[in-house]
Amino acid sequence: MNPAVSSPADVYSYTIATYRALAEAIVPITPAMAEYGAEQAAGAVQLHVHEYIIWELDHSLTLVMGFYPEVVPLAYPTAALLNSGASQMIASGNAQFAPSNGTVPHVPFAALSPADRVRTLSRLERLEVDLRALPPPYRNDGGLVKFIVDYLNRAVMFGNYSEWPAYGTTRLETPTRRRLEGFPVGWKQAGYPGVSLGYRALRGYPLTIIREDGGYTIV
Amino acid sequence: MYDADVIVIGSGGGGAVAAKELGEVGLKVLVLEAGPFYGNSKWRNPNIERGGEWSSSFDDLDIGTYKRIYSRYENDMNDVVSGAFRFGPADRSRTPWHRVMRQKGDIWQLAGVGGTTQHYWAQSPRAFPSAVDGVWPISYSELIPYYEKAEATLPVQFAPTTPKEELFYYGAKKAGWSLLPTLDVTTPGYRPNPNAILRTNERLMDPNYSMEQLNNMEGCTLQGHCVNGCTSGPTVDKIAKRGTLVSYIPLALKTGNVAIRPNSFTIKIITDRDPKEGLRAAGVRFRDTWTGEVGELTARAVVLAAGCIESPRLWFNSELPYNYWVGRGLTNHCFDWVGGVFDEKDLMSIMGLPAVYPYMGHTSGARVDIPGIGIFQVSCLSPGLMSFLTYGFSEAGYDALNPPEPGAPWNVRGRTVGPALKELMMNYSRTMTYLLLTDDETLARNRVEVDPILKDENGPIPVVHYVPSAKTLQRRDRLARYACETLKLAGAKTIIRSDTPFSFMLHLESTMRMGHVVDTNCEAYQVKRLFIADNSVHYNGIGGPNPTLTTQALATRTSEKLAQLYFS
Repeated sequence: MNPAVSSPADVYSYTIATYRALAEAIVPITPAMAEYGAEQAAGAVQLHVHEYIIWELDHSLTLVMGFYPEVVPLAYPTAALLNSGASQMIASGNAQFAPSNGTVPHVPFAALSPADRVRTLSRLERLEVDLRALPPPYRNDGGLVKFIVDYLNRAVMFGNYSEWPAYGTTRLETPTRRRLEGFPVGWKQAGYPGVSLGYRALRGYPLTIIREDGGYTIV
Repeated sequence: MYDADVIVIGSGGGGAVAAKELGEVGLKVLVLEAGPFYGNSKWRNPNIERGGEWSSSFDDLDIGTYKRIYSRYENDMNDVVSGAFRFGPADRSRTPWHRVMRQKGDIWQLAGVGGTTQHYWAQSPRAFPSAVDGVWPISYSELIPYYEKAEATLPVQFAPTTPKEELFYYGAKKAGWSLLPTLDVTTPGYRPNPNAILRTNERLMDPNYSMEQLNNMEGCTLQGHCVNGCTSGPTVDKIAKRGTLVSYIPLALKTGNVAIRPNSFTIKIITDRDPKEGLRAAGVRFRDTWTGEVGELTARAVVLAAGCIESPRLWFNSELPYNYWVGRGLTNHCFDWVGGVFDEKDLMSIMGLPAVYPYMGHTSGARVDIPGIGIFQVSCLSPGLMSFLTYGFSEAGYDALNPPEPGAPWNVRGRTVGPALKELMMNYSRTMTYLLLTDDETLARNRVEVDPILKDENGPIPVVHYVPSAKTLQRRDRLARYACETLKLAGAKTIIRSDTPFSFMLHLESTMRMGHVVDTNCEAYQVKRLFIADNSVHYNGIGGPNPTLTTQALATRTSEKLAQLYFS
């Protein structure tokens, strides 16, 4: 436990700040790309993808503790993993800081430049860190570190480029209560027309199986 | 008195086949499935409330409920944590069921009637004969009649061409591959995928029919949602993509001899000891996933079809006799994933179209087969799935921190993040992606175990270990080079090799191998009357072809053998 993080409100702001920094490093806001369409400027933070990561990590694991199953929230310990990696990166003397450095005290991962957040993720997944200094459940469990760091990358992308952000005010509800409130921005960014009932896209059949009399031929 | 002639554990690619085949010969069959039953009037809100207990009538199938759940939205459907398609309980307010994997990767398995075939892409090739003959305890020719029966039942048909297949063939021909008009692949070449997908609706290109009309008629509409959950069809049993939920399960219910109980996780295989037969299966213990209540059912035989992870887990948790090979020999086709980004003008000159349209047609419609090495198949997904598979999921780390060596057949290897990712994703509609399936060497060290400490409500949880051999990695690299060559020859301007994590588990096979755990009838050597009918009985990874059809052929054969041995 980070000594600076004690109250639930601190945990929340610490966790949010960490995943905002993660989302921003992977799918950044890019004002210059607005020339290709206004939606191209938006980054994962504008689409609240950091909240998606937190929701997913806090709803991914149930284990029996003693006699009964209990949900094991992973967002906070995983944020602590990223910050531990960032602290080790900073201690190495090679880190570059974001211009916003200082606005998020006690969240070293967010203080780093986006490129150095990616280098931090890289060092973590290559286990170029002191595994004993990591928080539980990652302490001395390099395999789990590799799994989760890889997951964080793809989860940001899936959050951004799937329809999740379009669930709007219902995005943090249990999945069966989410309702679409618009067309997903990530789908606009990709040029995906949305779900479909069908496409008149048939361009022929190179081969066909014909079954008759209990056998088949290929034409 | 027994509760049934046969209990089938699991209703996925294999279990559903066993249920139908056994029901058709007149045996009374009970099927236990851990996940939900979508598209059934007994469970109108399957993710919210418990609903009924059993379904035993074809008339229970309900297309309205099916299409309401199968929304086609990728986050709603495919999110492995919270989607309708996940390995977890029906109640989506709860977490999925956990498996421990201490390496990069993910396990794409689904609970629910139809199992993982709900999101599979329906590729239904036969094994490469060279991976079976002289290797398996049974011959390829022994499998052929069962392949033919499964192919006719699903049915399997060669995929139609849509723009992405046209582009794929263009590159494959330029690279010198020739057309293989066969189901029995002994030489390298390209062909449309043999897919378990109904033929394209004959009215699809007729503008007098609206898409709403076409989507409620029989035949594929090329909607591009094989992975997100196909909705083309007038009734559950006529849905175009033939996962077992819409093929074998309706046929099983039609026999009048099969009852299916979803939301029921089997936690133990019950055995007794017969003076003549020795140790034998006599029933199961299961847990209702909504109420936590535990029930028991008895039968004269048990078919285990819980998949390559849960089948060995259930063996361990049932404390069945020790066998070194239980859980061992896991193969997974050690996948890779490559993509090519095309310029509009090149696409115009090749196809007269400005894009690849990766969201149209079968999710995967064409392949190059290379016996001895593997397969690459054009495979295009909705943008959320495509983005992470192409740019976010890698054994190689970040491309920018470790760029490819000069002269490599790819421009990008590993993850792309930051502004470069956004620029690539802007080209999604002009990007063609391939899934690569490696002929994966079978190794005892690759295995499923149960964790000595961690448990969920269903018992000690599985641990999955998978490290490919040097030979497998060599083949995978050759395959990536062949695949990227066809992209380049087709005109791709940027070529991406994701270097997919080895443990991206899509085609798990061979954890309860024939000849080691089960005999050639797929009956367990050490537990009589216990048959296995999922991918786990494969002796190996069948050379690289997608495994489901082989499991379905074997499940057909196993059902026949079971009925002959114990019910004739």
